[in-house]
Amino acid sequence: MNRTIGLICGNYEIPAYENLVRERPPVSMPFGGRFRLMDFALSNMVNSRIQTVGFITPYRYRSILDHIGAGKEWGMDKKQGGLYFLPGTVSGVRNQNTRFLFRDFLHNLSYFIQGDGDYVLVTTGTMIANIDFQPMILQHEMSGLPVTLMYRKRGEGEKGRVCSLDLADDGRVRAILPEEKTGNLFLDTFIIDRTLVLQLAQSYANLGHMDLMHILRESLSSIPMGSWRFDGYVNFADGKQDYYKANMDLLKAEVRHELFSRDRQIATKIHDAPPAVYAAGSNVRNSVITTGSYIEGTVQHSVVFRDVRVEKGAEVRGCVLMEGTVVKAGAILENVIVDKNVTVSVGTVLRSTGENLCVIPKGASI
Amino acid sequence: MRKKECVAMLLAGGQGSRLKLLTEKIAKPAVSFGGKYRMVDFSLSNCVNSGIDTVGVLVQYKPGLLNRYLSTGAGWDLDADWGGLQVLPPYATQTGGEWYEGTADAIYHNIDFIDEYDPDYVLILSADHLYQMDYNLMLDYHKAMGSDLTVAVKTVPWDEAPRFGIMNVDDEMRITRFDEKPPKPESNLASMGIYIFTWKELRKALLEDHETEGSEHDYGKNIIPTMLAQGKNLYAYVFSGYWEDVGTIPSYYDTQMALLDENPAFNITDSRMHIFSNLHDHFSHFIGQDGRVEDSMICNGCEIEGTVIHSILSPGAIVEAGAVVKDSILLPDSVVGAGAVVERTILNERSSIAPEAVIGGPDKITVVGENAIIEV
Repeated sequence: MNRTIGLICGNYEIPAYENLVRERPPVSMPFGGRFRLMDFALSNMVNSRIQTVGFITPYRYRSILDHIGAGKEWGMDKKQGGLYFLPGTVSGVRNQNTRFLFRDFLHNLSYFIQGDGDYVLVTTGTMIANIDFQPMILQHEMSGLPVTLMYRKRGEGEKGRVCSLDLADDGRVRAILPEEKTGNLFLDTFIIDRTLVLQLAQSYANLGHMDLMHILRESLSSIPMGSWRFDGYVNFADGKQDYYKANMDLLKAEVRHELFSRDRQIATKIHDAPPAVYAAGSNVRNSVITTGSYIEGTVQHSVVFRDVRVEKGAEVRGCVLMEGTVVKAGAILENVIVDKNVTVSVGTVLRSTGENLCVIPKGASI
Repeated sequence: MRKKECVAMLLAGGQGSRLKLLTEKIAKPAVSFGGKYRMVDFSLSNCVNSGIDTVGVLVQYKPGLLNRYLSTGAGWDLDADWGGLQVLPPYATQTGGEWYEGTADAIYHNIDFIDEYDPDYVLILSADHLYQMDYNLMLDYHKAMGSDLTVAVKTVPWDEAPRFGIMNVDDEMRITRFDEKPPKPESNLASMGIYIFTWKELRKALLEDHETEGSEHDYGKNIIPTMLAQGKNLYAYVFSGYWEDVGTIPSYYDTQMALLDENPAFNITDSRMHIFSNLHDHFSHFIGQDGRVEDSMICNGCEIEGTVIHSILSPGAIVEAGAVVKDSILLPDSVVGAGAVVERTILNERSSIAPEAVIGGPDKITVVGENAIIEV
């Protein structure tokens, strides 16, 4: 008997991705060679032995269905439990600042009514982290509190985020602050008793425009909440700068090995691409390369997805090259994010700085 | 649809003894090949790409890894409620248990399995050959010729013919005689070990063969000669594409190194080949700041801080800083320690070479056993 069901919220936009999200929702952003951002939330659920997972989809969900299918790669095609697509409301299209739009909960209330677990673990579909939720679930059970919020200590020099927690010495939540005021960054992940979701659905039936975190914030006096700290790697992937940094972080062994641990694997859709081929004279340094690629030129400090070609004399530095990119002979790219199926023609030179990254949109020829 | 027109039976029970260390612990069809594949992937992919959705896999020798790899057949889209991939090991009966005593005997013991699908034709395959073939074309030929048994053959150089089972044919490609490894061959059409039988004919032949004293229960040695003697219609089907039976260490090494040629005869990196595999998830691979990779094929999950020249690295292989890997094949999860030198060597799965150790050389192929640790 599994006491916790999962919920992945994906019905929101992140405008800071600019033209990378013109044709896809943020949860579908390709990442790290062969993944999409949603793979982390899905895999974390499965790896934490949560067998029933709801996925609140954004308005444009074609790429999500394409990617997940029946959930086979995550072991979610089950008779008991499995994956439930929960259609998000159209309000998500304008939903930029929050992650847990309560209207989406109200709209899919039968998931919570029929769910057989006592607790609901709620997270977002864009956060990059490899987290074992089991210790948090255990703490939630032992505490008897109806809500447990996940947080982490802000790192040195790290930018803050919209939501932080004021915590008592025993970890109880004293306040949920709408801006970055304490060093305890809320990690967009919490456990809530299933019955509490149903109670809130009654009390806030006409207030669907609110975010569940907003509701919890104003309920703090009547609903006691605990906290659980996660100390591992987290990138919120809140826009193209975050996204670029997260890709570049994969060049560090400790990040790569933590995120893609063999013990807690992040699963993704399988493509059966053939091995990557390195031609004589290729020059690849400090880079992530993926199967199906063919490298003749120079690739440094970059993340290269499946089925990418870098031709002779081409130079790629500090770039993210998504699936199907072709960099023709002699072209030079520096600090560029190249979306899927782009062809960079012979001799093209494109450089941008880390502060203002250039993005080549999907399918373009330059 | 309960009835299947054609059921494939994949012979995967052989030891592949000439591969020595490579098949010490696993069956030959499970041996890693071309980086991310295992031998069985090629015939299974051919089945799927030919629209054959019912495949019995006959296992016997050390089937552990092979069974785990085949799993539900999902890796090849062969997971199905009816048909799909089914592993068929030897089994016990009320009168005791028997091993599969030969290629024909293995099918004899699974007559009931085949009968369930009421097929018109049965395709017999080996699970350890390297080729790409559309079995539909051969099946069409089988039907058009009114054949009872069609044997796929390949033209081989005359001087190599004595190593093969040779089919002698008449002008209509009707098989007149079969010679197993003839010292003086009269034909250079070599059997590829790929057969299409009309099921009712094969069924009859298997029952007869089972009762025959002294039979080795082998297609080449027993079934084919008997059917010829009975005047059945046997035809040869000439296949002109790439085909290799990777039977020995040198051919295992050479056929893989040939994958690195500029225009390889068998190009697994051509995505149009649609070779399926059942690989578990890995991260992409990583080349370090001082890494160098040239003229090589690298799979996901590898980490390369050293130098790799003209080599194939299977998933999860690691080359530490300062190490040099040349003309070598690293099988899954093998590790080359810092500063070690590996040349013309096959590192078996999960083997590791200690830092600064030197192994192999240009003159001969060196093989390191599974899980082996080579110290300095």
